Amino acid sequence: MTRFLAKRIGQAIVVIFFVTVIVFLLLHSVPGGPAHGILGPKASPQAIAEFNREHGFDKSLFQQYWAYLSELFHGDLGESYTLNQSVASLIGQRIPKTLVLTGLSTLVALLVAIPLGVWQARRRKGLADYAVTTVVFVGYATPVFFLALILVIVFTQKTQLLPPQAPQTQSIAGLFADSRALILPVLAGAIATVAAFSRYMRSAVLDNLAEDYVRTARAKGASERRVVWLHIMRNSLTPIIAMLGYYLPVLFSGALVIESVFNYPGMGLLFWNAAQTSDYPILLGAVLVIALATVIGSLLADVLQAFVDPRVRGAIK
Amino acid sequence: MSISAPVVAEPSPVPVAGSYRRMASQFFANRLAVSGLVILAALLLFCFLGPLIHHTDQTHTNLAGANLSPGQGGHLLGTDDVGHDELGRLMIGGQTSLEIGIAAGLLATLIGTIWGAVSGYAGGWLDAIMMRIVDAGIAIPALFLLLVTATILRPTVPVQIVIIGCVSWLVPARLVRAEALSLRSRDYVQAMKAMGGGHRRAVFRHIIPNAIGTVVVNATFQVADAILLIAYVSFLGLGVAPPKTDWGGMLSKGISYTYDGYWWMIFPAGIAIVLVVCAFNSIGDGLRDSFEVRLQGR
Amino acid sequence: MTDTPTLAIEDLTVSFTSGRESVRAVDGVSLQVVPGEVVAVVGESGSGKSVTSMSALGLLPPTATTTGTVRVGGVDVTTLDGPHLRAIRGAEVAMVFQEPMTALNPAFTVGWQVAEALRLHIEDLSKKQALDRAAELLEMVGIRDARDRLGQYPHELSGGLRQRVVIAMAIACEPKVLIADEATTALDVTVQAEILDLLRDLRARFGMAMLVITHNMGVVADIADRVVVMYQGKVVEQATVEDLFARPQADYTKKLLASVPRLARGEGRNRTAPADEEVALSLEHLVVEFRGKGGRKNRAVDDVSLTIAKGEVLGLVGESGSGKSTVGRAAIGLLKPTSGSVRLLGEALTGAKGRDLRKLRRRCGIVFQDPASSLDPRMTVGDCVAEPLVINGVGDRAERVAALLESVELDAALRRRHPHELSGGQRQRVGIARALALDPQLVIADEPTSALDVSVQAAVLKVFLELQQRLGFACLFITHDLAVVGMVSDRVAVMNEGRLVEVGSRDEVLFDSREEYTRRLVTSAPVPDPADQRRRREERHRI
Repeated sequence: MTRFLAKRIGQAIVVIFFVTVIVFLLLHSVPGGPAHGILGPKASPQAIAEFNREHGFDKSLFQQYWAYLSELFHGDLGESYTLNQSVASLIGQRIPKTLVLTGLSTLVALLVAIPLGVWQARRRKGLADYAVTTVVFVGYATPVFFLALILVIVFTQKTQLLPPQAPQTQSIAGLFADSRALILPVLAGAIATVAAFSRYMRSAVLDNLAEDYVRTARAKGASERRVVWLHIMRNSLTPIIAMLGYYLPVLFSGALVIESVFNYPGMGLLFWNAAQTSDYPILLGAVLVIALATVIGSLLADVLQAFVDPRVRGAIK
Repeated sequence: MSISAPVVAEPSPVPVAGSYRRMASQFFANRLAVSGLVILAALLLFCFLGPLIHHTDQTHTNLAGANLSPGQGGHLLGTDDVGHDELGRLMIGGQTSLEIGIAAGLLATLIGTIWGAVSGYAGGWLDAIMMRIVDAGIAIPALFLLLVTATILRPTVPVQIVIIGCVSWLVPARLVRAEALSLRSRDYVQAMKAMGGGHRRAVFRHIIPNAIGTVVVNATFQVADAILLIAYVSFLGLGVAPPKTDWGGMLSKGISYTYDGYWWMIFPAGIAIVLVVCAFNSIGDGLRDSFEVRLQGR
Repeated sequence: MTDTPTLAIEDLTVSFTSGRESVRAVDGVSLQVVPGEVVAVVGESGSGKSVTSMSALGLLPPTATTTGTVRVGGVDVTTLDGPHLRAIRGAEVAMVFQEPMTALNPAFTVGWQVAEALRLHIEDLSKKQALDRAAELLEMVGIRDARDRLGQYPHELSGGLRQRVVIAMAIACEPKVLIADEATTALDVTVQAEILDLLRDLRARFGMAMLVITHNMGVVADIADRVVVMYQGKVVEQATVEDLFARPQADYTKKLLASVPRLARGEGRNRTAPADEEVALSLEHLVVEFRGKGGRKNRAVDDVSLTIAKGEVLGLVGESGSGKSTVGRAAIGLLKPTSGSVRLLGEALTGAKGRDLRKLRRRCGIVFQDPASSLDPRMTVGDCVAEPLVINGVGDRAERVAALLESVELDAALRRRHPHELSGGQRQRVGIARALALDPQLVIADEPTSALDVSVQAAVLKVFLELQQRLGFACLFITHDLAVVGMVSDRVAVMNEGRLVEVGSRDEVLFDSREEYTRRLVTSAPVPDPADQRRRREERHRI
């Protein structure tokens, strides 16, 4: 197990290294470089050259990368061009809210998707299965923003049941205090995820139904319900954990869209605003933080799965 | 002892009339897949031939005829906030979405297939490094990366194709790599090596052709994903510049008029996206099933 | 023993429908098993024997339509609905399946799964009581430290142990009928012998009726009282085991028995190679290690030295995991040895690179076990056979391919077909033709007939041996089947756990073995003769 952990953590570190290289290269392809951003587009060439010398931007790419890495190690992601605040503190304020949003919608989604997928697999090729499959199919194909728009039209414009905007607050507690306003963003995120995970669950259960151990269980006299909800569930659920790890980037992309539609004060909205104003330190800082979160998330998911699934545990002993 | 002559004639399978024909018949028996194909064909005709029948001015703004509701002034689907005919706009917007989606999806599949096949076949440290690069790419959500690059490069159609292609090859690379990993230990690859065959032959003659099912099926999903991605980018305001547009961009405009009840600026484009993505996904599902039937024959 | 049958199948017909096609898998089968009796149903693949056994538990998929009756203790199973059927499964009729590796649920402990079999049928049995009983059952099927095993997961057990667990589950509720569907097929011969002993013992203890489904005539001779021979869905013959082997009536039975390879002293090739003959392959102190679980080095081949003279067939036998296939692959450079050397036709293969390696390799051919995976499904048969010619730039391919196909007794017209359009035997012939394309001086044959039915195996072996005699190539013939080894080899080498146990002439090794392991291996392999098999069984128990 320690060996597995060491190997998996080693891999994660290599991945993070590649991520920093990608982000660093992006930073370097920014038009005009950082000087333009800070001194403004009308800065004279002399001023730019001066700025570059001062900040070490005239050094070799490798030296600059090294400097960039050591800044990262100290938690320094640079200063925002437009918001007069350090990127690290901006992101630090926003990321918990994004985690609350994605966490809640994923939780809701799993609570619906897992039973739904199993239920469908048991009624495979039946009318109910076809109906649900079609709905899921359409749900899967609907862009999150379109879905969000429909929700807004139905629940705020037509019926005025729910507020169209997410809670506008600084604190996490504030989010929950205004929980009615939280419903639409969470729902929009959840529907998209339900589609993906119920499809996965349905096919996982169908795959398992063809396994020999199912035949053994039936030959013992186990009922169909027992076979599906006990024998198969155990085997289909653990891969979902690892799948969640891989699904993180999609969840974050979804959050970006949902936050911009509902004006939800999280990381996505920060990022979106930064994209409108070409605030590169925020853009690249956010990309880096989200990539780190993804890498660490998939690492945790893999390790958790290894703890839960006896087969994986056996394979890595 | 002497070996007895072949005693019981082993039933030899009847030669199957072309496995591709069998695949095709399986595919066409799948109602969902066929309706996907029909929808796709209809949308292609609508977007690329439609403008020949339905002439509209999509370059000049006409503020006098802005925000007309459907039917008014002969505009079947009304006009948008600068007076463009929505129906015509749906057509040219669709052209952009489909061109970018299909080209980027295919580009991503091409890159991913080769990367994955080489990585899985090579194994060892090369595979490890190639896959960590893929992991790193996957860790950065595509939408974030696209928004950053859209602020750096002017988003034109070719630029969008290349960028989307370059951020979305990672999933096919992973899938093909997994396939290559199992294919490379197949006996026919071993046999070929034992005969003195080289690595290039192994990858291009044996591994990629045998992974073709995965590749083709994934390509359709990849196109669907690319169409969604491009819609997201445009929706977030960083798509192709006007007067060009795409479906995501049209929706992005429509969102400002949600409370004015200008539904024709929201639903046609939104439904078009859902339709085309559904079409590609159902074609992909149908292809996957028919490839599986083909495999059963082995 | 009473005469009322516990299991009575009457005029059973099973058809499978897919789309518009309907295939009749079982056609008018009738058979009976009385308490304490072992009836073997024997047949080759596609004979409908497994489908017959599944119908006794109502386990057929919904695409199957059944007519006729299957009575278990007087109750017709085919008419039962869900709850009643479940009440019978496991309690009245229990089943042991072929694949012990996949038959157990990987996510639950062994103890839980055995206990489940009990708790499904015995009401008000507490968890604790069920586990206690499960431990007893595990002990009963010969698992030591049963208490400790309860908490283990299936992947922690060997194949043999898993099959014992499956058997423990099957006998948990003391069923009237026990069906063993190819229950020993996936196991090594020595383990197979133990499991057959166990089944025999359980029959004696509980007096249940046992239905043994198998394709192995040796297993039939070892365990059965009566035999039902099936061919293409029909019963072609029913007889007592002695009668069947001594006086087979049906043509099919006669042919089947004739194609089963038998091990007998002095038959076969038995050519001892003269000492001064040129050497085709020589392995010196060959060691192959793999990085195993947890990074520990796993020695698959441990200090093996072997030589094969030109024109000689060396049979290499061993159980699964003995390292025999690894030796074969290292011999033509598909695996790099950790240490030691391989010399092919007098030249060093170890350390050869690029062109030299390829030049050496083209003088060898290799035939694999699984005909389904040794031919690229995307290529035509002609392309498969031509591939070595293409790789090595040999011209005039069309004629050569036709000649090669002819030499393995295949119609040259088959060249345009794809592998999946051929039968298993035909595919294996194509594999042989491909291996011979470059006129090799050495052929490695890795279990070339293990995936084939016996009658097909006989035909393929015949073609192979005739070609060997005509072309005179040396051959390393790897197999787990002692009878096949006895048929093809001049000399025999035995491997166990990576080490070479014994090498010598065919008769020396198979009949006067110096090593105890070899003797155990030889006596474990069941022979298709009930009287002889009984004698061998007693001999084995003495070792």
